[in-house]
Amino acid sequence: MKRSRTTAMVQRIAAYVTIAVALVLTLFPVYWIASNSFKYDIDIFSVPPQWFPVNPVLKHYHAAFVERPFLQYALNSLIIAVATTLVSLVLGTMAGYALARFRFPGQWRYQISFWILSTRMMPPIVTIIPLYIAFNYFDMLNTKLAVVIAYTAFNLPFATWMMKSYFQDLPVELEEAAMVDGDTRWGAFLRVALPLARPGLAATSIFCLIISWNEFLLALVLTLTERSQTLPIGIAGRVTQYNTYWGEISAAGFTACIPIMIFAFIVQKHLVRGLSFGAVKG
Amino acid sequence: MTISARAELGSALERWGERHLRVLMIAPAMVVLLALTIFPSIYMFVAAVTRISPNPDVPWEFAGADNFLRLLTDEQFHVGLWNTIVFSIFSVAAEFLLGLGLALLLDRYIRRLNFLKTVLMLPMMLPPIAVAITWKLIYEPQFGILNEIMFQLGLPLQAWAGDVKLAMFSIIVADVWQWTPFMFLLMLAGLSSLPVEPYEAAALDGASAWRQFWDLTLPFLKPVIAIALLLRIMDALRLFDLVFILTGGGPADRTKTLSLYIYQVAYRFADPSYAAAISLSVLFATVAFSTWFIKRMRLAN
Repeated sequence: MKRSRTTAMVQRIAAYVTIAVALVLTLFPVYWIASNSFKYDIDIFSVPPQWFPVNPVLKHYHAAFVERPFLQYALNSLIIAVATTLVSLVLGTMAGYALARFRFPGQWRYQISFWILSTRMMPPIVTIIPLYIAFNYFDMLNTKLAVVIAYTAFNLPFATWMMKSYFQDLPVELEEAAMVDGDTRWGAFLRVALPLARPGLAATSIFCLIISWNEFLLALVLTLTERSQTLPIGIAGRVTQYNTYWGEISAAGFTACIPIMIFAFIVQKHLVRGLSFGAVKG
Repeated sequence: MTISARAELGSALERWGERHLRVLMIAPAMVVLLALTIFPSIYMFVAAVTRISPNPDVPWEFAGADNFLRLLTDEQFHVGLWNTIVFSIFSVAAEFLLGLGLALLLDRYIRRLNFLKTVLMLPMMLPPIAVAITWKLIYEPQFGILNEIMFQLGLPLQAWAGDVKLAMFSIIVADVWQWTPFMFLLMLAGLSSLPVEPYEAAALDGASAWRQFWDLTLPFLKPVIAIALLLRIMDALRLFDLVFILTGGGPADRTKTLSLYIYQVAYRFADPSYAAAISLSVLFATVAFSTWFIKRMRLAN
């Protein structure tokens, strides 16, 4: 009996050690980029490496956000992410509600839902060439609007499925009661279902914001100018064949991570549902 | 228009809207999605069977299956295909094993999961470009932290992402860092919804922890595992950001993935027809694979 208790103890300690190692491995790269963003160039390049920024400076933040247009890039990212989220959320919530609540003839509801989901699964590299040609034709390359339209193509199916699943979780009786009291169907949606689905709306919009904020390939192809490029494109632009501006990209890269780290704690509870409909990855 | 007439028109409109509400609510989303997916699909099919000249004044020429036949002899495509498959198998397998192991540990040993879970899932939410430059910094051969660790351990220094033999390994490690949390989270969700009774019965029968895992946990988790694997494989097959920043496809094309190759064909070689043919083939292969996988795992519902 005593021996098995010792074994259990050893197992427990081994488990804690493993989890601690996983935590360190998870956090170290994030710490490392943050720490390098606060170092002088000479300390970034020092051998052996400096584990802590001994002389912390905001030099690289100044270089990136004041001297170079990273503030503009961040602003573009923000505008594009918010606009995409608004469009996807409004259209996706209505479509999601219709799919969750209304009768459709035959198998239509199932087929429409599946078709909408399947558009989310299309690899971006497939849609990107025609989108590029189309935006070129309408003279819309290098505009934020083009990026918003492209992003809507994969945020909308996601928002629709997320909202559909949240509406399905709500009891129908409350809306029925409102309609018995003389409210219209639209009124029941607006005044009863929508307020109840608030947590779902919040989670869905945060996921849409993250997807758009993180996206790289589409923005890379559709934008070439400072006025339209997003933060990831700006960062990639400072990794050139001849020189990599480590300080600047560390500062910009870490800045790009900050809103995400805050969001992560907010959507934590919704993450599993979000992931199964394709959240996070653009 | 009198006030009463206007009110009448208003209520007529309202009634009409009520009657067609289901169509009105779903139509905007469907119209937008149709426009954004049907047009690109048609364009891709047309482009794949034509020869598009870079000169816009030259009309498109019908090329039949030429673009697809090129795939058979195009060595760059074969290299890209091979790299993509190698990357997908190794990264997804590692992510799955690590994610499952971590989920089992946390499920068994940690009571208050929430905070820890949030910290451990961080990597997958971060912008892939930020992740790529972070690992570029870690792999840097001259002053990178990884070589410092190698040095401290008395191991030979490496060029990592710049080394012909280690480049793919380096990409896989960075991807595993970012996406293990995905597997971990889905496995943890699966574990938390396991029924208790079978385990109590098994414990009464004196089944070992290993037997319980093999005979109970794995079969119960199977649907979650299948979905998680499918989602990750589909993502891995389109890897772009990491290689674009870390290696640019090199050295010696060792990390050139299909997505990167399509990007190069379309924009560097300005050959949209061939790029369309590759994209369609890849899309077709992906759809065929997922259909097979879903059938195999009996996931239809």
